[in-house]
Amino acid sequence: MTSPDIISTKAPGLAWARILPAVLGLGVLVYAFTSNGYVVTVVGFAAIYGLLCTGLNFFMGFTGQASFGQNAFAALGSYGSAILCTDYNVEPVLALVMTMVFSGLVALVVGYPTLRLRGHYLAMATFALGLITYEISVEWTDLTQGYMGYSGIPPLSLGPFQAQTDKQQLAVILVVLALGVLAAVRLRGSRFGRACRAIAGSEAAAGALGIPVARYKLISFVIAAVYASAAGSLFAHFVGFISPEVFGTTMVVQSFTMLYLGGIGTIAGPLIGAVVVSVLPELMRGLKDYQNIGYLVLLLAILIYAPKGVVGLLDSLSGKWRR
Amino acid sequence: MTFRSSLFAPLIAAAFCAPAQAEDVLKIGASVGLSGYAASTDRGWRDGLDLAADYLNAKGGIDGHKIELVVEDNKSDPQEAVIVYRKMMASDNVQIFASGCVSAGNFAAAPFVAKAGIPMVLCSILPKGAAEQKWAFSFLPPPRYEIQTRMQYLLDHGDVRKIGILSDPTPYAMIMTKLATDVAKELGIEIVASETYKQDDADMSVQIGRINAAGAGAIIKIGIGGSTVTVAKNIQQLGLDKMLLLASLDDAAPFLQAGAVLGDRFLFVSPSVQIPDAVPAGPAHDAMETFLTLWKAKYGDRDGNAAGRAWDAMMVIDKAVTAAHSTDGAAVRDALEQVSDYQGAIARYQFSATQHVGIVQNPLMMGVVRDGQLVQVK
Repeated sequence: MTSPDIISTKAPGLAWARILPAVLGLGVLVYAFTSNGYVVTVVGFAAIYGLLCTGLNFFMGFTGQASFGQNAFAALGSYGSAILCTDYNVEPVLALVMTMVFSGLVALVVGYPTLRLRGHYLAMATFALGLITYEISVEWTDLTQGYMGYSGIPPLSLGPFQAQTDKQQLAVILVVLALGVLAAVRLRGSRFGRACRAIAGSEAAAGALGIPVARYKLISFVIAAVYASAAGSLFAHFVGFISPEVFGTTMVVQSFTMLYLGGIGTIAGPLIGAVVVSVLPELMRGLKDYQNIGYLVLLLAILIYAPKGVVGLLDSLSGKWRR
Repeated sequence: MTFRSSLFAPLIAAAFCAPAQAEDVLKIGASVGLSGYAASTDRGWRDGLDLAADYLNAKGGIDGHKIELVVEDNKSDPQEAVIVYRKMMASDNVQIFASGCVSAGNFAAAPFVAKAGIPMVLCSILPKGAAEQKWAFSFLPPPRYEIQTRMQYLLDHGDVRKIGILSDPTPYAMIMTKLATDVAKELGIEIVASETYKQDDADMSVQIGRINAAGAGAIIKIGIGGSTVTVAKNIQQLGLDKMLLLASLDDAAPFLQAGAVLGDRFLFVSPSVQIPDAVPAGPAHDAMETFLTLWKAKYGDRDGNAAGRAWDAMMVIDKAVTAAHSTDGAAVRDALEQVSDYQGAIARYQFSATQHVGIVQNPLMMGVVRDGQLVQVK
């Protein structure tokens, strides 16, 4: 008689590594919906960053490219929604979709020449894209109001329903996040997703297999831009105010930290990373002047002991358990 | 309880859970940029609040309530400001805000603070919306005064009638830059060049060169911090030995450094606390001395510009809460509007239902650095 341990494709112990993040995530949501505005705000920002990182993960994790310029598309989404809703009374959901389309087109135009670059050069080019957008948001004051910022941005609404309270807004953000994650899951498993992963493995090998590498990289870049744009729009509606500082290099560093800390190239990784990076500083707030030190020490410890991110750590623990 | 859960439970509780509200405590929250670009000003603002809270608590608190200051670092970032405002509202049950100079952070939080009916006294300019302005009170001298004082100085001293503007892109500087055109026109001064810089620019020779090439005899710099010293050094390096530099309201430290470079060609706008000798005996002098005596006892020679305004803000809160005989947000807000004549350490404050910027008379003077001291230009 053959042992189930040998013939089973699902090893015992594997399930909990998959279920634990989901259970913890659910716990965070239940806690948020039963807590005060502070918790809702922190979780709301985590969810928005989760969406941004899910898109970035598509370009960096699945396709194996580097982008330091997602803040540019988040800014486009944010300012687009702010201007359309505040100055032209466009429905927030329609504005969100319009800015996603616009950001996608910008990504297409910018990405076409940029994605001919590879490695560090691509990283530098995308970083420049973020810096240029930041400068525009500061200097083009007639459009963006510069550091004065854009205020009076309405909360998300669809027809007669308007997300008035913090918790209603959080619910809307979570719905968009869920749709984004679902789309990422479907895309990853698709022919296109598999081709992207082949590109991440070796561009030359993928090309030899007949995969149109340049085109797929561009599509992946556009997808990441569309996600970032949606995240930017949600931010604008959630806070009701935007200014250029939000879309500076801090956003780039934050999103990278979230991606690597959670586990790049996985579906759950960006979400876990977003929650950890958003919640940890709040847990450290009691340390006052040492808050940043405490937070960064903990962050370093996680990265040292979990170089493949939290998801990688859970997988390896699950493997040990299996053995 | 496991070791890990016992370790993190207090942290989680401390971070997210609301403490019980003691009846005899008045919680005043401050969202301040203790790190980031606003750090030098906002650290002064925080210390001024702290000094005033100690002073008032020693006298029995405000209307019998002991003041409890809740200070949170917004890192000079609007997103962080939203989080700390939310925290102070939901977890600390703050009753009044006395927040620092990060305008964007205060703007971002203003809608939900106003919605919650919590008064805000601010180091920064007022938020833009009417609904938010209803709950906000500014302790910053109106930008017009800074511009007027400097241009009037040029009119009264020497023959410089062509000037250049060098400004950073902060909200306060943007407002001032726009005002500069109107004020210059009123006073018959010509702005021949208007240049911008970023707070972290390490060299501004190009902008200064353009201003000089346009024929300006003076640069009115709009913006705070170490950039003032950079501009002074660049003027010297370019050999512009006639060019005047007139700096914004700021901490004394950059003034002293810039003055050491340009001597009498470096001038600045200043409140009385930076040049106390310039204030004649009277109520203004007495109010300033009360603050400065305590300030110097605790902080020595540290500049008291932002701290003085924070002190004044706390004293105005004291007057309002005492008059309202309540800590209810709406009652305090209404009472703040009734503080129609209060002589503070920095200025005289006159609030009303239609006037939420308290300083309505120009309290600023022109100063220069002599022998390592800030002195008034007569």
